[in-house]
Amino acid sequence: MHSFVSRVQQRSSTFSTYVIIASVVVAIVSLAQLYVSGAFGLQSEVGGIRPTLSMRTSRRFGSTGKPKENVRIVFDLDADLSPLFNWNTKQVFVYLTAEYGGAREDISNEVTFWDKIITSKADAKLALQNERSKYSIWDVKESFEGRNATVHLHWNLQPKVGFLVYGETVAHDSESSKPWFIMPREKNADKEA
Amino acid sequence: MQLNIRDIKRNAHQVLGMILILSGAFMCYKALSLIANTSTPVVVVLSGSMEPAFQRGDILFMWNRQSRVNVGDIVVYDTKVRNIPIVHRVLRQHASSRKQLVLTKGDNNPLDDLDLYAYKQMYLDRAKDITGGVVKAYFPKLGYATILLTENPTLRTVVIGISLLSQLLSNE
Repeated sequence: MHSFVSRVQQRSSTFSTYVIIASVVVAIVSLAQLYVSGAFGLQSEVGGIRPTLSMRTSRRFGSTGKPKENVRIVFDLDADLSPLFNWNTKQVFVYLTAEYGGAREDISNEVTFWDKIITSKADAKLALQNERSKYSIWDVKESFEGRNATVHLHWNLQPKVGFLVYGETVAHDSESSKPWFIMPREKNADKEA
Repeated sequence: MQLNIRDIKRNAHQVLGMILILSGAFMCYKALSLIANTSTPVVVVLSGSMEPAFQRGDILFMWNRQSRVNVGDIVVYDTKVRNIPIVHRVLRQHASSRKQLVLTKGDNNPLDDLDLYAYKQMYLDRAKDITGGVVKAYFPKLGYATILLTENPTLRTVVIGISLLSQLLSNE
C-alpha cells in the first residue's frame, strides 16, 4: 500500500484539505473585518444630475431599425470607499445605476450609467465633478416615457481568496431620499401622444 | 510465472483505490452541482476579459438558485455563436414577473456584449441563456493546470505516461 502513487495521493489530499480550511478561514475573517470597518454603511453623495437625450438608429445603440431614445447623464459624486480595502481586497468595482419602473406594476429596470475599477486604497476616495456617464442607455421599449429614475451607487469587492461581496452606499444626509432624475423626452413625442 | 493470489488481491486493491478516488471526486462535483443548481458549479476562467478581477486559470464557484440576477452580478452564460461559456458582469437588467432580460459586459472590454450575442439578439434571457448562474466565491490560479493540460496535447500525453509508468514500477 505504500507505493509511490499512494504516497503522492495521501500528500496531495492532506495538502488540499489544509488549503480548503485556510481559505475558508481567510474568507470568514476578511468578511468579519469588513463589518468591523463599517463597509456596509458607507456614505456617498450624488448630485447635479443632468440627463441628455439623443435619438439613435444603429444596433450599437439598441435600435432595431426604429429611432431609439438614448440617455446619457453628467453628475457629481463624492464617496470614500477606503474602508473596503484590507489585506484580502484585490479590487473594488464601483458602479452608478438608475432604477426605473415600466408600463406595468411588475416591471422593474436597472441600468449602469458609469463604473470604475479601483485597485488600491489610494484611489478609493472619489470626488468627481461634471463626470460624464460611461454608457449611453436605452430601454427595451423605444422610449423611457419620461419616467422617474432613482440613482444608486453600488460596490462589488473582489477578494484575493473568498466570497465576492456586494453593497450599496447610503446618502450622506440620511433624511434626504435617494438622488433621482427624470428621463428626458423628445419635445415632439408629447405632441404625438 | 506463477499466479499468486496475494499479488492479484494487492493489484485489485490498488485499482479499486484509484476508482474510489476518481468516483469520489466525480460524486463531490455532482453533489455541488445539485446543491448550486448548475451543471458547472466550478468554472475555470479562460479569457482575460474580466481582468483585473479574474485572470486565466482562476477558479470560480457558482450559484444558480435565484430567479433574477442583479446589476453588478458576474454571470456565466452560453451563446450559440461561441461554444465556450462566457464569464461577464451584468450591466443592465429589465425584469417583469414573467422574465428577465440582461445585458452583460466584460470589465476589461471597451464595449458591452452585443457583438457576442446571436444575430438580432439584443439581450440575454435569464432563464434560457444564463445557465451557469452567478459567481459567489473565488480562488486564484489553481485551475491553470487544467488549462495547460487541455491546451497542450503533448503535455497531457507526458503526464498520463508518467503516472501510468510510476503505477507500473511501484508494483515491483
